[in-house]
Amino acid sequence: MNPISKTLVLLLAGGVGSRLNILVQSRAKPAVPFGGLYRIIDFSLSNVMNSGLTQVGVLTQYKPLSLMNHLGNGAAWDLAGRSRGIKILPPRTGSKNSDWYKGTADAVRQNIDFIKAHPSQEILILSGDHIYHMDFDQMIQAHRQKKADITIGMMVVPKEDIHQFGAGITNDEGRIVEWEEKPKVARTDLASMGIYVFDSNYLLALLNENREEVDFGMHLIPKAISRDNVYAYRFNDYWRDVGTVQAYWQANMDILHEGSGISPEAWGIRPNVEASGRMADRCPARFGAKALVSNSMISSGCEINGEVINSILSPGVVVGEGAVIRDSVLIDDCQIGEGALIDLVIMDKRVRVGRHAVVGSGDKRTVNVAHPSHLYTGITLLGKGAQVPDGAVVGRNCIVNPGRLPHDFPSLHVGSGMTV
Amino acid sequence: MKQKPTTLAMVLAGGRVDELNVLTYYRPKSAVPFGGFARVIDFPLSNLMNSGLEQVAILSQFRSFSLINHIGSGAAWDMIGRYRGISILPPSTGHASSNWYRGSADSVYQNIDFIRYHNPDCVLILSGDHIYHMNYQALIDYHKDKDADLTMACLPVPMTAAHRFGVADIDDEDGAVGGRVWRYKEKPQQAKFNWASMTVFCFKPEALLKTLTDNAQEDTSFEFGKDIIPRMLADQRRVYGYKFDGYWGYTRTIEEYWQTSMDLLGPQPKIDLERWGLRTNLEHRDIRDYQPLKIGDHGTIRDSLVYNGCVIEGTVERSVLFPGVHIKPGAVVRDSVLFFNNQVQAGARLTKVVSDVNSSFGEDAVVGANESSSEQEVTVLGWDNHIPKGTVIGSDCTIYPHLRPEKFGRTIKNGEIIR
Repeated sequence: MNPISKTLVLLLAGGVGSRLNILVQSRAKPAVPFGGLYRIIDFSLSNVMNSGLTQVGVLTQYKPLSLMNHLGNGAAWDLAGRSRGIKILPPRTGSKNSDWYKGTADAVRQNIDFIKAHPSQEILILSGDHIYHMDFDQMIQAHRQKKADITIGMMVVPKEDIHQFGAGITNDEGRIVEWEEKPKVARTDLASMGIYVFDSNYLLALLNENREEVDFGMHLIPKAISRDNVYAYRFNDYWRDVGTVQAYWQANMDILHEGSGISPEAWGIRPNVEASGRMADRCPARFGAKALVSNSMISSGCEINGEVINSILSPGVVVGEGAVIRDSVLIDDCQIGEGALIDLVIMDKRVRVGRHAVVGSGDKRTVNVAHPSHLYTGITLLGKGAQVPDGAVVGRNCIVNPGRLPHDFPSLHVGSGMTV
Repeated sequence: MKQKPTTLAMVLAGGRVDELNVLTYYRPKSAVPFGGFARVIDFPLSNLMNSGLEQVAILSQFRSFSLINHIGSGAAWDMIGRYRGISILPPSTGHASSNWYRGSADSVYQNIDFIRYHNPDCVLILSGDHIYHMNYQALIDYHKDKDADLTMACLPVPMTAAHRFGVADIDDEDGAVGGRVWRYKEKPQQAKFNWASMTVFCFKPEALLKTLTDNAQEDTSFEFGKDIIPRMLADQRRVYGYKFDGYWGYTRTIEEYWQTSMDLLGPQPKIDLERWGLRTNLEHRDIRDYQPLKIGDHGTIRDSLVYNGCVIEGTVERSVLFPGVHIKPGAVVRDSVLFFNNQVQAGARLTKVVSDVNSSFGEDAVVGANESSSEQEVTVLGWDNHIPKGTVIGSDCTIYPHLRPEKFGRTIKNGEIIR
């Protein structure tokens, strides 16, 4: 019999992920749909389930409704039962003041009562933002073996990317001896994945030291490294922070390519089929007599009468006759009119593209005028429920904001880099 | 305010159909897969859910495991809650004797206590074996309106086919809606009327209990069609027919099963799963864990239904594929129904094949109807068969479940039965 897990999981799911632009306008980053049937947080939660961990607190702050809806009672990840549970932990007012979470460590500190109510040997702190497959049990075993105070999941990244991460320098035993948060000059290529195993008593004591220390990477980790036992746990497989439009698109495309290292099914990733989108109500995908599909993933409830190439379709997408979809990610219930051409586009839920409209045409180098740092590789974004009129032509790096209707379009031609 | 349910539904799910043979070798008819992800019984269960009837019993006897597994907690059809539930009622030993269900009516008779316990206003008895979409509430309303003892749903069949059904003579008391049933014949050799019973019965409980008791004490056969309806007519009870004019898939032969599956396809399918609101239990066989359908660079799918978890690298036309089917490059599958986890290796060709779960077709195997031949009957494979590389199997063949590879000679001729 499996003993009851001695590790409590805290999942940080409060991130805004603002570089995902309109995809996070009404939901937190962990709740962004991914890979046809999933949401980003399904990867972390399924890893938790597959590692045999059974008690989870989810710390939310930014637009948590979609996320709460998705988590339900946690049964999708086998987190409902006598010794199992998942709790949403939003910010709340205390006896003295009302506090929003001021940082990752502050969020955990404000939930010390939850930690104490679930006595544990270790606390595993994760982010709900990443796409990867990892056995946390092995990491916990390594933590115990080293008798560490903290063990940090770390992976090798290209040196030019190290400035986005917490960077660690280790000695021969894997002990971290130096730490730099988001260093400007790269001295190491070992980056923190934001996955920490803490000895529970150690964490409680550490949090208690100074309330001004609100962030793990900025404050608590460097301090711990300077005086306590902090070890790196190396991870060498597929891991992506899909925090930008480009990275989000690329990770989706990776699923289509054998050998890219990502495979939700082989990884045992589970969506919540009963949550919104309701895969439970979806029938098998229906292919018409003129359907042409290659190198794509199509979810249940889709109806394909046109052509789909190198694309990922979530449940309920309807593709009209003669329409062509290429290199795109279409989220639930989009409807593509007859003869429409879609190239390099991410569409949020319930977008409707009119007949013979063209979305994604022109020069990929014309960056988005309003958000040049978000859209610069040619990807066009269509927001939730937007409707592109019949015959319209929408360029590259464009944004059509959620809910825009045909009469909101200033003309039938939306040039590259423009926003509707 | 929603009150305690007044209708108790009982689904007859115990039957095995001889003609479906290899598909019902290890499961009752009601648990046979249908529609690319579901089971036959999902149709009546979804109808019940969509009709707001959520107090349900399932009477099951033959190899119930697959069915029990499929029903799970009932949550898939929203049948879990204070006044919502599915109970599976297998045969049980009583004080005096241990009795298997001796027929459809006997299975209900042996559960009279269950009916009394629920104390409903009406008892809706359904077969779990048919493919159709029906609002039972309309039938129940008509039944109450007529103050009937029994109201049965019927649909017209060709006079020449009437010998396969129980047929009723319904008058035009309420025109196209329904009327009084004056005569009824179970599988008549020479039919004089042609309203076929769909095995959807709404009973007034006291009439049901009395007739079941008389039947149990006086007769030697215990079937609704053959015994209960004639008995009620003989007792001058108020028996009404509710006229149904929708699609009804009667799948008692392999050919009918195949044809009904083909009715899922085409631009205006006769069976519209989306509109019918069909639901299944995604926990069963872990359907929920599959990723979306993956189509390779050279895959082609036309005029077909394909569920999550399939990987298509070959060609699929006019077919229904259940989760986990892999079609390798160069393989061609036409006019076929492949159940869960079938594997079709490179270069294999399947035409008009129904293949049960976990079977595989070796490289370059040719199975089923040959386009140049006049023989175009369905070839059916039982579960867990592994057809060796290069094997040729003709049309109208029956392959029993779980055979050793030696059983497959190089060529299996049209119409052969391999067991």
